[in-house]
Amino acid sequence: MSRSIISTKRRQILKTLGAGGALSATGLLSIPAYAKNKPLRIGILAPRTGVAATIGECGIRAVEWGVARLNAQGGIGGRKVELVIQEETSPKETIDRYRKLILQDQVDTIHGVMSSGVSLALAPLAEQSKTVTMLWDGTTQDGVKEMVPYPKYLFKAAGNEVDAVMASLQAVKLYGGQIKNIAGVNVDYTYGRTTWTTFLAILKKFGIEPNIVSEQWVKIGTMDLTSNIAVLKAAKPDLIFSSMFFADLPIFMQQAHNAGLTENAKFVLPVGGVQQTALKKQFTPEGLILGHSTFYFDDKEGSQLQKEFVKWYVDKYKEHPHFEAERAYFCLAMYKAGVEKALSAKPNAWPSSSEVAQAIPGNKVESLGGIGYMRPDHIPNQTFYQGLSTHKNDYDFVTLGSVNKMSAEIIQKPAELEYWDWLDKADFKVEVGRPKGSFVQKKG
Amino acid sequence: MSSILNILLAGVFHAATLFLVTAGLQLIFGVQRILNLACGSIYALGAYVGITLTTWALANGLPPYLFPLVLLVAGLVSGLIGIPLERLIRSVYRRPEAFQLLLTFSLILIFQDVIWFFWGAEPQQLSNLTMTYGTISVMGVTMPTYNIMLIAVAVLFAIGLNYYLNATRSGKILRATAENHETGAAMAIDVKRVYVWVFTLGTTLGTLGGALVIPTTAATLQMGVELVVEAFAVIVLGGLGSMKGAIVGALIVGVIRAIALFVYPEVEVLAIYAIVLAVLIWKPSGLYGKVEA
Repeated sequence: MSRSIISTKRRQILKTLGAGGALSATGLLSIPAYAKNKPLRIGILAPRTGVAATIGECGIRAVEWGVARLNAQGGIGGRKVELVIQEETSPKETIDRYRKLILQDQVDTIHGVMSSGVSLALAPLAEQSKTVTMLWDGTTQDGVKEMVPYPKYLFKAAGNEVDAVMASLQAVKLYGGQIKNIAGVNVDYTYGRTTWTTFLAILKKFGIEPNIVSEQWVKIGTMDLTSNIAVLKAAKPDLIFSSMFFADLPIFMQQAHNAGLTENAKFVLPVGGVQQTALKKQFTPEGLILGHSTFYFDDKEGSQLQKEFVKWYVDKYKEHPHFEAERAYFCLAMYKAGVEKALSAKPNAWPSSSEVAQAIPGNKVESLGGIGYMRPDHIPNQTFYQGLSTHKNDYDFVTLGSVNKMSAEIIQKPAELEYWDWLDKADFKVEVGRPKGSFVQKKG
Repeated sequence: MSSILNILLAGVFHAATLFLVTAGLQLIFGVQRILNLACGSIYALGAYVGITLTTWALANGLPPYLFPLVLLVAGLVSGLIGIPLERLIRSVYRRPEAFQLLLTFSLILIFQDVIWFFWGAEPQQLSNLTMTYGTISVMGVTMPTYNIMLIAVAVLFAIGLNYYLNATRSGKILRATAENHETGAAMAIDVKRVYVWVFTLGTTLGTLGGALVIPTTAATLQMGVELVVEAFAVIVLGGLGSMKGAIVGALIVGVIRAIALFVYPEVEVLAIYAIVLAVLIWKPSGLYGKVEA
């Protein structure tokens, strides 16, 4: 199943990227004179407080690093880049701040947003205000469906269910024939519900129909999970699937371990890697399926860019970055690619928002997690990282024993299909795992 | 059988946590008639101070098995915040209740920002210290010993408070002041000092609760707000100002939630508030609350 996006095309892509960078750096790319004196302002909307604060802060740090790097190389299209950072909170408040960024701060583009609710609320406004808006996150497939269907200015993040699809496929491959009793402990909002349904749908697709012995929905921010753990203990599942990824996840694992639940049950945590440093070896077992979404800090095969970023991040913050850093950097790199492509098509004037928006789809950029591509429907294809947790490292938290990489081209729904129809028809080419020595059934 | 016991124990553990939040709230309302919305924030402060002091103590060579002592110190020290808070709240003693609610609500926001300033937005937690004392297995139920200790602490708090309020001179003065502060003042009770003492004691109960519970969970900026919602379900059930009500209310909320999760998880929250609603209709003053004239 392990498959890398790093294919034979990579050299060609890197060559193109390098050529673009060289053009930009040497000034061969024509820049309108007025533009050079005016900084390019990027508005950022990200949570800095609350349960999502850790995640938002990681994205902000990455974009700050990216901007410093860009400015050292001459900025975007010759203009120095400035960040105007505002907090993402409720949809209503965030919309107000979005307007402020456009009207008062006069930003050229707005990036960020993690919540699906906020992204749904912002989508129409992005189109009305004709502001190139690039979402870091917050796009469950249901959300994608409900948003502006054919956006011109809005660029979405990879569907949140992609992580669930990949984790489910891994579970099918590893435990398929052994899964008899399963339990779901998922966050109680669209994302949690869709990922759990995705898991069940994929099991069914591969002919696995286990008993659902417990199905729990945890409110965001719930920190006393003792009762949830007690119910799981009583239910005796073979496998527990959880889409938790806020600060509640380490607490869940800690309380599960302390109650003896980790001794027998297998765990599938599609985006658990967000809490990587909090998943201490003391209470996080080896062998759980752990997803890191579009970025894994300890990927030995990672690019020079990834290694440079991780080193800077660890040196500066004494922490390890997660996927939100990649999402933020990807948006910055993709926006830069769009501006410079639009500039090369119309060298004597700074491109309008509309021209930049039109120039973004079809671009391939190097991001922290590998090469990413913006599809014509404004949803990116990126690489996703998952694997089995291991204690064999120098940290006090679990990392991945072996890193599986999958391209979103395989595990993300294409533009023209409905999510559930696609999931039903997709050909994933995964072998259903069976108990040792038994028949291995080929499906898909 | 072990499954049922496991679920009930988990419910009792949650009840113990809720009692530690609401005990101080009940004491303060019982004597001062102040509905302190910031009780959850005070609990959060205890949790954050507990993490900082424990982390520091462990880094400086404290044997891990002594960590509960550090948490006790953290709870007691941070409880002193009650003294300046009482001075602030004094300004609304004789004003309509809406002023109390506004003031204590603003304290929630202030506490959130103060915690954010000193500890940052990222959730904080102690490493798995709860396992320092290992686990206890009874009738097939495995639970960290620390969780059992925490339930015992909540029971001790309840017994201690009951003894203090009913069997000590200081406690009787509090009760006399609670009955009628003007009569109390006429009998040479220094009501101002009583108020400072009660508020600080109530605050310390909250900070001690936060500090002692934190090894089992994580501290977040929202923890105060999240707990206060359940805490108010407890006091509506038990009756505002009643310590016995806090115990019974916490047990009802904790156990009902655990059972709902087992039987039909979708009604986890609904089950609690359906009972709250029923009590409000049947006995608006709560199970042990006094009916106001």
